[in-house]
Amino acid sequence: MSTLVLLFNLSLRNILRYRRRNFFLFAAIAVAVGGTTLSNSLIRGWQVSMLETAVSGLSGHIKLQAPGFADEPSLERAFSSDTQIALSQQIPMVGMTQRINLPAVITSERETRAVALVGVVPTQENISLYRDLLIEGEGLVGADDGRLLIGRALAQTLQTRAGRRVVIIVQGADGKSRERGYRVAGVFDAPMRWAENVLVFTGLGALQENLAGDQLDNPITEISVVLNDESDRGSAAAELAAAHPDLVIQDWRQMQPQIAEIVDMVDSVMVIWFFLIMSGLTFGLVNTLIASVMQRTRELGMLRALGMNKRLLLVQVVLECVGIMIVGVVAGLVLGVAMVFALGDGIDLSAFSESVEAIGISTLLRPVLTLEDLLLFGGLSVLVGFFASYFPARRALKISPLMAMNR
Amino acid sequence: MAKDSSVKAPVVQCRGVKRIYQQQSIPVHALRGVDLDIREGEFVSLAGPSGSGKSTLLNSIGGLDGFDAGTVTVGGIDLGVLNSAELADLRLRKIGFVFQAYNLIPVLSARENVEFILQLQGVPAQQRRERADDALASLGLGDHAHRRPGELSGGQQQRVAIARAIVTKPVLLLADEPTANLDSKTTSELLAVLQQLNQQQGMTIVTATHDPIVMGFTSRQIAMLDGEIHQDTMSTP
Repeated sequence: MSTLVLLFNLSLRNILRYRRRNFFLFAAIAVAVGGTTLSNSLIRGWQVSMLETAVSGLSGHIKLQAPGFADEPSLERAFSSDTQIALSQQIPMVGMTQRINLPAVITSERETRAVALVGVVPTQENISLYRDLLIEGEGLVGADDGRLLIGRALAQTLQTRAGRRVVIIVQGADGKSRERGYRVAGVFDAPMRWAENVLVFTGLGALQENLAGDQLDNPITEISVVLNDESDRGSAAAELAAAHPDLVIQDWRQMQPQIAEIVDMVDSVMVIWFFLIMSGLTFGLVNTLIASVMQRTRELGMLRALGMNKRLLLVQVVLECVGIMIVGVVAGLVLGVAMVFALGDGIDLSAFSESVEAIGISTLLRPVLTLEDLLLFGGLSVLVGFFASYFPARRALKISPLMAMNR
Repeated sequence: MAKDSSVKAPVVQCRGVKRIYQQQSIPVHALRGVDLDIREGEFVSLAGPSGSGKSTLLNSIGGLDGFDAGTVTVGGIDLGVLNSAELADLRLRKIGFVFQAYNLIPVLSARENVEFILQLQGVPAQQRRERADDALASLGLGDHAHRRPGELSGGQQQRVAIARAIVTKPVLLLADEPTANLDSKTTSELLAVLQQLNQQQGMTIVTATHDPIVMGFTSRQIAMLDGEIHQDTMSTP
């Protein structure tokens, strides 16, 4: 212990000894770590945004549907709205909502478009993108509201607006097409442009009445569940599958596998990015530390001559290297956190809205900083310093006691 | 060979020590079968021109350099059978070194430099401090304990180096040209210190030197030439 204190003391003083050189080294490490912290928080923000977009885009964390609905969506593959959804207390739920979600065709006096006709209970939709819609005109007042909410982009395509009428053609429960006129209650702006083009909302109750007729009692095509914690997804799906063996249970990863892959890939991207930055830094670090060792050849040789064994000499060089890295990393993390806070309101990417939507994120990219990331990359940086000390340490070990006598 | 066969046991015993260096494939015989006994309490100078082998012999005795033939024992320990770590431990516990260039650790104060070697030995802090202060005080540096090497004169630095070398109470003190960087006045003062250590504490000292002043202070002068002991003289300083 006493020896370790000695070596620590000696290493600390050696770091302070070359103030100017080590200041620049600290600065280089701090800028690299700070920059990595910021870039990683933006990448993490991208990941979180993708996840939120994926979950809030009507799928939720978990969706329950009738068998075969995903392949051939129609009201013939519906199930009863009496279906009860309950999860154990260990899996807290933000909420759940029932819907009819069917492919349909919408026609105005000018244009015709394929859309997704979604019957919703507006009060239950606080778990989906529905809650973020900016509505011009009127919103749906309840499940029995038989009017429509259409997206701004779709309204422009159809050349229609709130208060005008459009026609919806959709397959009913009997398999026959139903054609019916609807009044547009409002036009919405959504965070994602695809939602404005594709989604058409109406009241669930009204839609059930229009489409089911006497053949089904309050049919729904899906139940969407949003959990408090994404990590409960697997266990929640398992519980629901056990409780509802007659339904198909899918989580958002199964429904949107491309997005899931990208979300998974983000962790690897962060680590690769980190190592790219740090490997560049390592060359500078190794170079400086080797120079430091060579500059002290006689001194280190003298330590060997006095009886310091190779192991202790190795520990001393490693302590110096890791010490420099720790100070630089701490400064870098502080710098990185400060930059993340400075960008706390997010970066507006609306100028590239189509491109960013294509990769599944919203147009406002907010950096996300997690303690896990800070600890992981801070720890990895120190580990890089540890391995970088190998080369100067190897150089130090080659110094023989005779060098102290002969130089 | 030593002319005085003292009753005291030899601290250093060399038998047939040879050291051959390869210089661009040409063998250079630095030591050609040296036989030497240095007994406890002797103050020995190894003198000779450059290339005579005095530094090579000193390094071999100190376990800093190997040898190609023969045996070297220090305090009864055969250096030839020790590995690098064991040699380091031997140097740490049994041999004190004083170098020409002082070789103090610049980031440590005089006291910390002296304490350093005790810390490597694992001596407790309180005892370490007392012994370091005693060693510095005995060399007239009691008031300079807190100063770093850069704040001391050459003579003072060399005294700190001596304090560091003797604080462990080694069986042998090796000094390689200890006065080469000092003026004649400081040289005399430093040699008086070494002489005092030798006479009052009975410390065995071997120093390599070119300097006749140094030889004048020692009790035994060994002159080396071409890797062999040319002359071995006992005197009363």
